[in-house]
Amino acid sequence: MAQLDPRPDHPDSTPSADAIPASTQLLAIAWLRWRIFVNGLRRQAGSGKVGSLVLSIALRILIWPILALWVVGPALGSGIFAWMEVSGRHWSRLSVLFGGITLGWQFIAINGTGIAASASSFDPSTLLRFPLRFGRYLVLRLMLGFMTASTMVGCFALFAAAIGIAVAQPSLGPAAFVVLAIFAAMNIFLSRMIAIWVERWLSTRRAREIFTALMALVFVSFQFLNIHRPTGHRAHLSNGSWLLGFMQGTNHFLVWLPPGFATNCIVPLQHPLARLAQFAALLAWTALFLAIFAFRLHRQFLGEYLSEGAPRAVAVAAAPRTYPQPATPAAFNQQPATNNDQLFSPAIAACLRKEWLYIRGNTNQLIQMFTPLVFVFIFSRGILARHPTYLLSGALGYALLGLLGTLYNIFGADAAGVQLYLLAPVRLGDVILAKNIAGLALLLIETVLAWTVVMMLAGTPIPLSAQFSAAFWVVFVIFANLTLGTLRSIQAPRRILPGQTRQLRSTSTSQTTALIVLATLLGSVLLQVPVALLCGHFHNPWLAVWIFAPLAVAAVAAYALLLGHAEQLILTHRDTFAADLCGD
Amino acid sequence: MTPAIETTSLTRRFGDFTAVDNVNLTVDSGQFFGFLGPNGAGKSTTIKMLTGLLAPTSGTIRILGADLTQNSAELKRQIGVVPEGMALFGRLTASEYLRFVGRMYGLDQATTAQRTEELLEFMNLAGEQKKLVTDFSHGMQKKLALAAAVIHGPKVLFLDEPFEGVDAIAAGTLKSMLQRMIARGATIFLTSHVLEIVERLCTHIGIIHRGQLVAQGSIEQLRAGVASSGAAPLTLEQIFLEIVGADRDGNLAATPPEQELSWLS
Repeated sequence: MAQLDPRPDHPDSTPSADAIPASTQLLAIAWLRWRIFVNGLRRQAGSGKVGSLVLSIALRILIWPILALWVVGPALGSGIFAWMEVSGRHWSRLSVLFGGITLGWQFIAINGTGIAASASSFDPSTLLRFPLRFGRYLVLRLMLGFMTASTMVGCFALFAAAIGIAVAQPSLGPAAFVVLAIFAAMNIFLSRMIAIWVERWLSTRRAREIFTALMALVFVSFQFLNIHRPTGHRAHLSNGSWLLGFMQGTNHFLVWLPPGFATNCIVPLQHPLARLAQFAALLAWTALFLAIFAFRLHRQFLGEYLSEGAPRAVAVAAAPRTYPQPATPAAFNQQPATNNDQLFSPAIAACLRKEWLYIRGNTNQLIQMFTPLVFVFIFSRGILARHPTYLLSGALGYALLGLLGTLYNIFGADAAGVQLYLLAPVRLGDVILAKNIAGLALLLIETVLAWTVVMMLAGTPIPLSAQFSAAFWVVFVIFANLTLGTLRSIQAPRRILPGQTRQLRSTSTSQTTALIVLATLLGSVLLQVPVALLCGHFHNPWLAVWIFAPLAVAAVAAYALLLGHAEQLILTHRDTFAADLCGD
Repeated sequence: MTPAIETTSLTRRFGDFTAVDNVNLTVDSGQFFGFLGPNGAGKSTTIKMLTGLLAPTSGTIRILGADLTQNSAELKRQIGVVPEGMALFGRLTASEYLRFVGRMYGLDQATTAQRTEELLEFMNLAGEQKKLVTDFSHGMQKKLALAAAVIHGPKVLFLDEPFEGVDAIAAGTLKSMLQRMIARGATIFLTSHVLEIVERLCTHIGIIHRGQLVAQGSIEQLRAGVASSGAAPLTLEQIFLEIVGADRDGNLAATPPEQELSWLS
């Protein structure tokens, strides 16, 4: 072994933190992320998972163009809308556009927090042990989240809006680009501010429970508003332009918010000094959001601990111990069975109880359940409302997307705890079954809720054939995902770290798995197209039922088959299984 | 002489629970300081506060004479840490990880590369060039974490259970490396449950129990403070058990009541 004689650097030769150039640390982190990405691919290829690597690349090639559409679509819409409104001198509608972009941006940001974090290769708070000044840490944190879906979609939409304005009236172009760049920065700071404060507020179980209740209240309020929606002369707004109508109605207070200030900076309606004042106000909002974000981040930088309890290593003061009379082995065997025990075997009942405890404390999963329902509500008032045949399937597909992802990493939250399943005298098939029952229960609740929303909001009755076909389609999609998800959970599990920011990261799956989920669901949705064409061709809407019913049966059979072989599968893959879930 | 580590009324609460309670700790420069305590006594919480990873609820921390809160970035440059859980980046190789850490501490590329090579050689990790850290054994990860903690030549080194999971040969090498660091003027603050190692390495000891610092001083001072019934000097284990092993009624906490777990065969 070599001899090493480490010595503390001489005081005079030790650079202070200021002496470390910012570029050195920023480049080091950029390099770190690059190496993590490359090594991730290398590991797949080097560990005999060439098939997995090829699958991963193929999925990316397949899915990325579709994802690109999600960026290009809003950008095109935004650019054309801006061009039309500026050409028609409908200045006030620009603020509606900017307000809409902000609303969408923040909604996607909140909705996508878990996905973004799971795609993230490391927890940025681990950088705190390095000699970073707060300013540099702030820049790093802002940089690390720049490639999120919300930021990209929002920035492209604003850039397109600026182009639209410049094309419609070239003299406004320079102002539009400058103002909308500031507006984009405002949105970035706002989304970060919301995320970091939500993380702070949800750091205790009580807060998470209150938040969940509020989400439920918001959802119910949407339904209430819908039932009591205006009729008569304003009823036309419900046909596709309901959201626009709502946004236009907010114009009078938008003028005091960044969308209004941004609009007034660009449009040539006011005195130049007034426009300058509006610009200052926009800057002030931007600075305010940055300051509030920085304030919270600074608390984290100083070593704030976000949780209601003591950290893992700190023991809670021991409670007075009582020593009951010793139980005899016979007494153990005579323990009365609970209701759960009567329904399920003790192993399944125990696993179900554990899953329930996990779900109860997992706000992210509850957010994932409620937020799509809000979109289902919007879909039901929008384009899909005109096509009742597709409304149900489309809404159900969207509502289930988030939860289906959780089926692909069912052991992730157990992390090193999975060793218990391997050590305990239980059938691994029972453990998987219990986890799948818990997942199915959530999917069932989500399906019923989404179904209820659609039935309540559909303008015209949904044909019975469409309902039956949707039901079989849902069974097919759920069991197909359950089968694939269980397979991926065994073959490519990923450990989920609880606590602090990870509370919003609890659905983390690998990127390949995420792409598989997306591809599976998109494939399932696209499957509806040829089926619908066939139904149209033969003028028989019940044909869809005859197609989806066998598919559903096949998916259930495939799942049953997999469940029978799950034990053997886990044992075959136990090296990877244990290493990925237990390792660092 | 300015103490390397000094805390005044250091306190950390988590809700109603006080993990570290009014701790006044002084570690002089050049000391090999062992920080002991039962599980959950507050050792790791104290280390996290001393290294700036956790904010104290109240009290002050001075490292090398400077206030940690006011001079966080400068002081982090002067300290090395093997934190609880090691905080490694599993998807890097050992060499990549050390290069990253070196750059984050402001070392130039040549120095980083040279020290990386030396450290990997020293830790017997040089043969694992292509292996990812996540595929390392626990002991190898521990050695890598220690290498990362010293790559920038820290003046104060905090080690949370550094020998846990490390084989005897590697432990011997690490011990001699740490002792040479002490000889060169560094200060080492170490926690370990292996009292024999602490007794052999450390010159000074602090014992924390239920969040409170219940003893501090050289091993001789601690020995003198504990009554010995025999002629032979007390070992550190005996001193430790004397100080923290007894409950308020004077009974050893480790002694189970007769009826406890009687069903075990």
